[in-house]
Amino acid sequence: MRRILLVATLMSGVAIPALSADDPKSDAAGKSFTGATANLAPGDAPGQWTRQSRDYANTRYSPLTQINKGNVGRLRVAWSFSDGQMYGHEGAPLVVGDTMYLVTPFPNIAYALDLSKPGAPIKWVFQPNPDPRAIGEACCDKVLRGWAYADGKLIYNLLDANTVAVDAATGKEVWRVKLDDVTNGTTLTQSAFVVGDKVYVGSSGGELGTNGWFQALDVKDGHTVWKAFTNGPDSGMLIGPGFKPFYSWMVGKDLGVSTWPGDMWKQGASAPWGFVSYDPDRNEVYYGTSNPGPRTPSQRPGLNLWSSALFARDATTGAAKWAYQFTPHDEWDYDGINENVLIDIPWKGGHRKVLVHFNRNGFAYTIDRTNGEVLVAKPFGHQNWAKEVDLKTGMPVVNDGAHPIVEKKVENICPPDIGVKNWNPSAFSPRTGLLYAGIFNTCMDLTNHIVKYIPGSPYDGMEMVRHPGPGGNWGEFIAWDPVQGKRVWSLKEDMMTWSGVVVTGSDLVFYGTLDGWFRAVDARSGKVLWSQKLGSAIMSQPIAYLGPDKREYIAVYTGVGGGAGVNRRVNGFPPGGNTLYVFSVDGAGIGAGLTQLKTDAKMPAPVSVPPAAAHN
Amino acid sequence: MRGLTLALMLLASPALAQVTADTANPLAGNADAIEAGHALFGKMNCAGCHAYDLTGGMGPDLTDASWQYGGKPGEVYRTIADGTPRGMPAWKDKMTVDEIWQVVAYIQSKKQ
Repeated sequence: MRRILLVATLMSGVAIPALSADDPKSDAAGKSFTGATANLAPGDAPGQWTRQSRDYANTRYSPLTQINKGNVGRLRVAWSFSDGQMYGHEGAPLVVGDTMYLVTPFPNIAYALDLSKPGAPIKWVFQPNPDPRAIGEACCDKVLRGWAYADGKLIYNLLDANTVAVDAATGKEVWRVKLDDVTNGTTLTQSAFVVGDKVYVGSSGGELGTNGWFQALDVKDGHTVWKAFTNGPDSGMLIGPGFKPFYSWMVGKDLGVSTWPGDMWKQGASAPWGFVSYDPDRNEVYYGTSNPGPRTPSQRPGLNLWSSALFARDATTGAAKWAYQFTPHDEWDYDGINENVLIDIPWKGGHRKVLVHFNRNGFAYTIDRTNGEVLVAKPFGHQNWAKEVDLKTGMPVVNDGAHPIVEKKVENICPPDIGVKNWNPSAFSPRTGLLYAGIFNTCMDLTNHIVKYIPGSPYDGMEMVRHPGPGGNWGEFIAWDPVQGKRVWSLKEDMMTWSGVVVTGSDLVFYGTLDGWFRAVDARSGKVLWSQKLGSAIMSQPIAYLGPDKREYIAVYTGVGGGAGVNRRVNGFPPGGNTLYVFSVDGAGIGAGLTQLKTDAKMPAPVSVPPAAAHN
Repeated sequence: MRGLTLALMLLASPALAQVTADTANPLAGNADAIEAGHALFGKMNCAGCHAYDLTGGMGPDLTDASWQYGGKPGEVYRTIADGTPRGMPAWKDKMTVDEIWQVVAYIQSKKQ
């Protein structure tokens, strides 16, 4: 009888209630592989997705369970939305109440879609019209990696180095602040991150000889509350008596000056363009910095602090607490900007508060986030530049053959500049205790050139031919044990896996491929349970949410671009795209039906899309 | 000597200051100019955007048939000299007329 009722419920299209959605440990059959846990603050309602990483800890874990291993094979498109912009699409949609918020790559047009009506019609559109000169200053396509919601406002960065806040109800601009001069090479591609009354923004421009910075703006009016440079004197970096790096080689006065020749720190980049994490118990933010400038290392002997590094700062004052440089004197463009996932692990009979960081350099670090001590550093993919990371000193042991040489080709350095993993964020499941990440299997033949600094032009010098690593596959998707520092399972992919990840309370992991396959995978076994071909590459961040109809949906943006251009001459590389796809079991919901459904939109989409938008 | 002749030739051409889309490259096919243009392509950071093999990256591919601002030598000259509204910097204050023509000659030599 119960079964009949359930079937009847399904057939009538009424939503299935989310069972035990709040309790990650509700599945008695599923044990954690590692015992790792996470603080899922601020504890949004299970069906909402109000920040790119879902929670402050950056887990991208959704507790939803309606879509499960039994019905995931019946996922179909419920509705879709194309935004008309042809640069790479890297962000995650936000779902706040009954509204979905999207922001396009340059020219950074924002949309609010009404999830309560058939076809999710447009509620409002906001066109910020950023300065088009920014197009020539952005190194790696004209992308935006996310946007934030707070205090009734949609807050996001514009490519032309402005941050804007838009009234989430009306789409009217509330404030806009200019944070830098884009003609000097500083752009903003980072996802703004909000905690309380502050929005955290980091600069882009690691290849342009910029001087990187990270700042906290006031959510109300956008004014700068604090700003910390990533190179230069301690005073400008907000390094004071409370700064206590774990390793002695990072202790000293004004190392952001003295570890560079002359004044070269002023063009030393170290731009913090990745995701930000926040620990509410410690009131600290965590973020990484980019490669040093120029990319040719022989021009800048020294450690080049604080490039390719990680910072912990007091979220209120900006005061630096500790830092750790992953790749001292970075010779290969191994930025430290990848996301930091805050978890707590069992460790030698006790517990440690840690962060897990998959570095571009190919090592996955598990670091005590209270003091910067590296507990685990193991390769998570193919690399040959370092023998190991010495846990006594925190220093990598660099292999002799890996050093670049000016005007001479050095063959087969792995990974190349793009790393074993790039900005595309991983996910952590408190149910399995594992992290899930899209990674690369690539190498380069590298010839370095001497370069000079010309403001607003690349300060680069790396000439590369990139090729796949052993096995011939460019990409891979892995499940990672952050305590043991080892893979649990992996899936090879033909092209580089640039996708973000969402893992759900049903132990389903969702990610996509560059050639447009969107997949659902069993988080425990790595078995692929469902694949759906979409219109363009998936190099964005999927989410799971509950609609106003209490139905679970999975949403993901498609649209090739960004660093994925590395694969642009590989057979099967897709054309551009700009479509958000939303899936549900059987495609049921607000976007399909057996009657003459119509939309009830409050605004048209903008039509001023220049034909040249795809080029610069 | 060959370099001197080249310099004199350029100095004797006042019209070059007003290069238009239809102006021919006086250095087209000149081996010395192409070599000089190659060096400038690296030295002036052109390669940072358009790649050392000119196939593009941060900026467009210069070896294919697609030219947003025109692919005739005079048009390429003007694009380098004046920049574009969509991010190509203007180089006329940083490079001489003959240096720009040398870069155009190098690009012409790489066209597929």
